[in-house]
Amino acid sequence: MHALAVSEIAPAAVAPTRERASLARLVGVGKTYGSGEHAVAALANATLDIRAGEVTLIEGPSGSGKTTLISILGLLLRPTAGQIFLEGRDVAGLGERDLPALRAKHFGFVFQGFNLFPALTALENVAIAIRMKGGRRPGRAGLSASGGGPRAQRTDDSPDGEARRLLELVGLGPRAHHLPADLSGGQKQRVAIARALGGDPPILIGDEPTAALDTKTALSVMELLRELASVAGRAVVVVTHDPRLERFADRVVRVEDGLIQGDNP
Amino acid sequence: MWTLARKLLLHDRLRFAVAIAGVSVSVMLVLVQVGLYFGFMDTASAVIDASSADLWVTRRGNDSFEFASPVDERALYKVESVRGVARADRVLINFAQMKLPSGGDLGVQMVGVETRPGEAPLLAPWNIVGGDAARLAEPGAIACDRSDYGKLGIDHVGTQTEVAGVRAEVVAMTSGIRSFTTSPIVFADLRTARSFMPQLGTEAVTYVLVRVAPGEDIDAVKARIEALPNMAAFTNHEMSQRTRTYWSSRTGVGAGFFTTAVLGIIVGFVVVGQILYSGTLQYLREYGTLKAMGAKNSAVVRVILSQAMISAVLGFVLGSGLAVAMKSAMAAANLSVALFPQLYVATAIITALMCAFASLLSIVKVLRLDPASVFKG
Repeated sequence: MHALAVSEIAPAAVAPTRERASLARLVGVGKTYGSGEHAVAALANATLDIRAGEVTLIEGPSGSGKTTLISILGLLLRPTAGQIFLEGRDVAGLGERDLPALRAKHFGFVFQGFNLFPALTALENVAIAIRMKGGRRPGRAGLSASGGGPRAQRTDDSPDGEARRLLELVGLGPRAHHLPADLSGGQKQRVAIARALGGDPPILIGDEPTAALDTKTALSVMELLRELASVAGRAVVVVTHDPRLERFADRVVRVEDGLIQGDNP
Repeated sequence: MWTLARKLLLHDRLRFAVAIAGVSVSVMLVLVQVGLYFGFMDTASAVIDASSADLWVTRRGNDSFEFASPVDERALYKVESVRGVARADRVLINFAQMKLPSGGDLGVQMVGVETRPGEAPLLAPWNIVGGDAARLAEPGAIACDRSDYGKLGIDHVGTQTEVAGVRAEVVAMTSGIRSFTTSPIVFADLRTARSFMPQLGTEAVTYVLVRVAPGEDIDAVKARIEALPNMAAFTNHEMSQRTRTYWSSRTGVGAGFFTTAVLGIIVGFVVVGQILYSGTLQYLREYGTLKAMGAKNSAVVRVILSQAMISAVLGFVLGSGLAVAMKSAMAAANLSVALFPQLYVATAIITALMCAFASLLSIVKVLRLDPASVFKG
């Protein structure tokens, strides 16, 4: 159970085309609740470029608009202003029918509370998410970390096979058949990360994924996310209050009063 | 989806057991209540269904099979004279008082039938398990059902008794001929039956059973008989349905049984609905997570529907077993529960629909679940 598993499993898995390439871009995005005198702007004029291989931390006080920002980025919330570009296409105006498929293709989510089904083993939790997403998309490796390698040629492409590989990737192969209740907080979060990686999304969004963990475990989880960005070429966006995580980040975006106050590489 | 649904259900075994118990009780109530209804209806029309007659002729206005007013024997001659009638048998049905060994009397439903030597009667006692039905032609001979032996104080074929003060002897024992009323059915020859019910006169006939001549159209013969003054004719099937409808509607027995069955469905609906809904609430964040990661509503709905169907299938199997056990227990109490394949199929469909509808609240909850809510604490 080490973040190093990423490089151990698929050291040649870095996708050069992903590195530093823009995967998602918010332009002038805003979210206002209500109208007229009662209008409340949760987010205003946010412009943010999410690039492959980067870890972006989003910091700010409670109620500053961080969650609104990542909800809009993850296509969970529709903005009232601005544009969201995915693969060069503005998807801000798409309806609820189209969004699940886009989310499945582009995003994986990791939450503070893990949100694992307690009745399912680690393997089943990951596999069910893969199944519900519609399985692995043709033409893409189950993991960029394993795609193309000789190891990938031998592996099982079924949701269970992909789930097993993902659990190995996050260092939980031996714990695949354990229930969440039998796992530590850090292990649960690794299962949640493996689940988020199901379907091979290029962008991982974490909502305070280390907040429920002790310092050592939190750093270990963050190290894993860092590796997923550096080695596997994903974009990792993490909302956090914890300044100790900044050392894992390529950029720190500070949000206050619904405005992006700083975007520091 | 089945795996997830099964595991979510089994994760809380107590709650799952309550859900299955709810469905099982519901299924058992539906099967037993509807089965009892059909059992009673089978009993109500048993004598008619056992007849080999093509037509039943009676006095116009007779609604009840058991309480029909008799006519005199001229009805037989009139019917016999109708073109297309090959054979006509007289039947007398009425109530008589049978003497009990304790000294009291018990009302019995006397069925007087024609016994012609060498000819199979159009109506005769069936399921003879003791004695000799051919001896019914003897004066005073009667046939009783063994299920009524205790009630009538009879302990064997050959028992001597009295009906309306007239000496009678049990010459045959039947099995499974039950009365819809509380009065046991007793078969006798027509002449013997008349002697047991002197108040009806010596020429009383309640029904004339008709065998239509080969090649004749039954409906045409029926129409000719109905053209006779004051006569009504029914096919065997019509007579059977008429009697069932009479008892079902006049006594409210149908409404009673079906109301209980509907209550059973409501109980199952409420229990399953509550269990599924509380389960859905328990896993709302997990469902929200799946939706956030791109799972379609239909996929999550399938999980909930699968849980409902698992509950339906297990509850149906268990409930059916309970119903079969109840049937055996009720048979010992002389109650007939008619469980037949069509009833099982209908109950299975009702159970599936009940559980599917019970899951609607959970489905609506999941459909309305905003995937962004997983970010809100």
